[in-house]
Amino acid sequence: MLSKTDTDKCVACSTCVVQCPVAEVTTKFLGPRMLGPASERFRLLNDGEDSSLTYCANCKNCDISCPQGVGVSNINMLARAAYAKKHRPSFRDWILAHGELESRLAGIFPAALANFGMANPISKCILDKIGISKKADLPRFASKQLAAAFKAYKQPEQLSKKVVFFPGCFIKAYAPQTGMDFVWLLNKAGYRVELPDAFCCCGTPLYTNGFADDARKNAEKNLAEMRKWKEQGIKVLALCPSCELMFKEELPVFFPDLAHDGASYLENGEEFVLGCISRGELVIDAPGNAMKDKKIIYHAPCHLRALGSGMPGLDMLGSIPGLKVSSASAGCCGISGSYGFKKEKYDISMAIGSKLFQSIKNSNADLAATECGTCKVQIMHGTAMPCEHPVSILKHYLEKEQQ
Amino acid sequence: MSKKTDIIVVGSGLAGLTAALSARASGRQVLLITHGVGSLAVSSGCIDVLGYHNGCPVQDPIADLPQLNPEHPYSLAGAERVEKAIDWLQSLCLAGGLNMQKNLSRRNHELITVMGTLKPSYLCPESFCTECFAKARRAAVVSFENMKDVHPLLIIDQLHRYARFADMEFMEAMLPCPIDQSHRNVTPLDVARFVDTPEGLEWLRLSLEPYAKLYPILLMPPVLGVKNSQKVWGTLCDVLKVRIVEMVSIPPGVAGLRLREVLRNALNEAGITMIENALAVRAVADDKKCLSVVTSGAGGEHSWEASQFIIATGGILGGGVATSPGKAWETIFNIPIKAPENPQEWSSTEIFGRSFFSQMGVRVNADLKAIDDSGAVLYENVRFAGRTIGGYDYASEKSGHGTALVTGMLAGELAGKE
Repeated sequence: MLSKTDTDKCVACSTCVVQCPVAEVTTKFLGPRMLGPASERFRLLNDGEDSSLTYCANCKNCDISCPQGVGVSNINMLARAAYAKKHRPSFRDWILAHGELESRLAGIFPAALANFGMANPISKCILDKIGISKKADLPRFASKQLAAAFKAYKQPEQLSKKVVFFPGCFIKAYAPQTGMDFVWLLNKAGYRVELPDAFCCCGTPLYTNGFADDARKNAEKNLAEMRKWKEQGIKVLALCPSCELMFKEELPVFFPDLAHDGASYLENGEEFVLGCISRGELVIDAPGNAMKDKKIIYHAPCHLRALGSGMPGLDMLGSIPGLKVSSASAGCCGISGSYGFKKEKYDISMAIGSKLFQSIKNSNADLAATECGTCKVQIMHGTAMPCEHPVSILKHYLEKEQQ
Repeated sequence: MSKKTDIIVVGSGLAGLTAALSARASGRQVLLITHGVGSLAVSSGCIDVLGYHNGCPVQDPIADLPQLNPEHPYSLAGAERVEKAIDWLQSLCLAGGLNMQKNLSRRNHELITVMGTLKPSYLCPESFCTECFAKARRAAVVSFENMKDVHPLLIIDQLHRYARFADMEFMEAMLPCPIDQSHRNVTPLDVARFVDTPEGLEWLRLSLEPYAKLYPILLMPPVLGVKNSQKVWGTLCDVLKVRIVEMVSIPPGVAGLRLREVLRNALNEAGITMIENALAVRAVADDKKCLSVVTSGAGGEHSWEASQFIIATGGILGGGVATSPGKAWETIFNIPIKAPENPQEWSSTEIFGRSFFSQMGVRVNADLKAIDDSGAVLYENVRFAGRTIGGYDYASEKSGHGTALVTGMLAGELAGKE
């Protein structure tokens, strides 16, 4: 048995129960300790499944809080995948899991039409019928998705160094500007960026919604492409903490045969930018009037906290002269990917996020910042405050300073 | 990649949190690195300074400090420092909306547990104080249906065995469970979270009203909210014209979570960044100077540089100390801890007796720096705090939170001065 999912490491201290954002707001969820390590022993007897397994949001606060290093959330996700093998997940879950496929279909139509197709009251009613909350703000497809925007963009020619960008499906379909801002920064630091067509969704929404086979296919494709670049000694960078966590922590547990060789070829894009700054490739010693006295409140996504790598986004914002940055430190936003879009989870999701919303509203900031795409959707939904990825904020600053 | 700051604290239990806060007070940059959240959130939330000494109950822990062995962390810190740390936490909590109180006669509180036993503690939330029983001799013991850890009849039966409560009149008050029937056991934390909402508070007020008319004291599990417990307690006592006494509960302890929230908020206001889910696996040192601590997590290994380090990683349960038969050692610097070779000598046949398991820890000097057998300092810029330190038996003494607080605050202050 993998040490990360070893149930015997659990001493039943109940720390995870106290820290679980879902258990905090609803008693419908059995809680991480009981559903994870405690139930796992019964699963070995193949003795049925607890009905509240779908209430785990896979936000990973149980793992973050556990003093013994038990991978509670992964125990839950493995159990969910095993359950889904015998009981087909719903059409609603298929829709939410396969967002990337839908974005490709949507790409055929003009974005306005595709978005109208999703956001008009009639569609919302239909979505609500299949179990997607009509109160939720589903993210909008961008008018030009990342692949098209990247193709249309001309990178400077004299760049000798090279990096590869793994954008993840959110940036690809809904926030291509974040991806392009990152490309701009990397170019400015002297790197040419590759955006391979072969990269597809990291598999997080697929696996957590019960489509393990589809997640496996994606993993095979992505890892093969990453291996190719790794062999050439070229770094692959990601901006989405959930994608990064999938490759670094979850794939080796979900598909140990695929990722046995140390899993990850993926690196944190923000850490790379910080490295560029400290190596002097990217210079921020301008007088700093572009963001003078602007106030930004930063939210650390749970999956970033779970990585245990620190807060490169917060460090990056802190490096911008004149900018006033504070950290919300208010826990989970509640969305957990597609969790908060589900009809029966919407209220739970909003109740979880209420602490963060309050903290952001109280901050009187001009702008919120976070790395995770769906955290961003949730923050804007819960606070009506604009929210940006830290790389975009750094790009705006440098661009303005240039003018 | 390596990152640099002034002072690094490893561990986010009571010792780590207080070390970070007191270090930050010096104006230096502080980074807190942690793996897990420590045991504070599931604890009683009361500060046990010294409950027993050599197996005998301690009345006044401060007066008894000079009798402790010279290696005891309290002896190293000095009695004055112990009192200073307690007062500091008290003012910190008050600023965060939680009124922590000493006993009026400056002796140990006798707190009531949900098992109906009495527990010595020095500093507790006002809502736990039991001095009101000196005047009022009648109380309703409140619990909730489906709350399997709190049984009024057991509590009443147990309390009657103590001379202090033998002649008291108690009544069982079982309230309906306010939480939807679910397959999950209801804990005081569930009810406390409900009471944090306006409808929950109103429900509790209405439910307690009939009992408040009959009895001057209501003895309850810690259900008076998590976020605003002080206010909830004050409001209910006022409107019901009654004194509410909360009992110390088993994990999840609720009051521990209240205290942790207060300290977390203070940390955030002080601008201290916390790196979570990062297990400190080793240190890089140049002779007697620690240069960096290396952490391992899902995101890979990271190196964190600082000029001062405070290690508050806990004991065996927290991961600060590891063991194999006949051996024990601190886990980041691999500092050996003297241990009986025969593992049978590690434990005690007396369940509440002293045992090596609750004593093992790093030997430190008055500066809280690790020392070897000859008394020489191992690392000039590394201090230890809380359970990682040896020289005391937190379980048999009932001194866990007290030692964490005193050494945490002292380590932070000393690191901030260097």
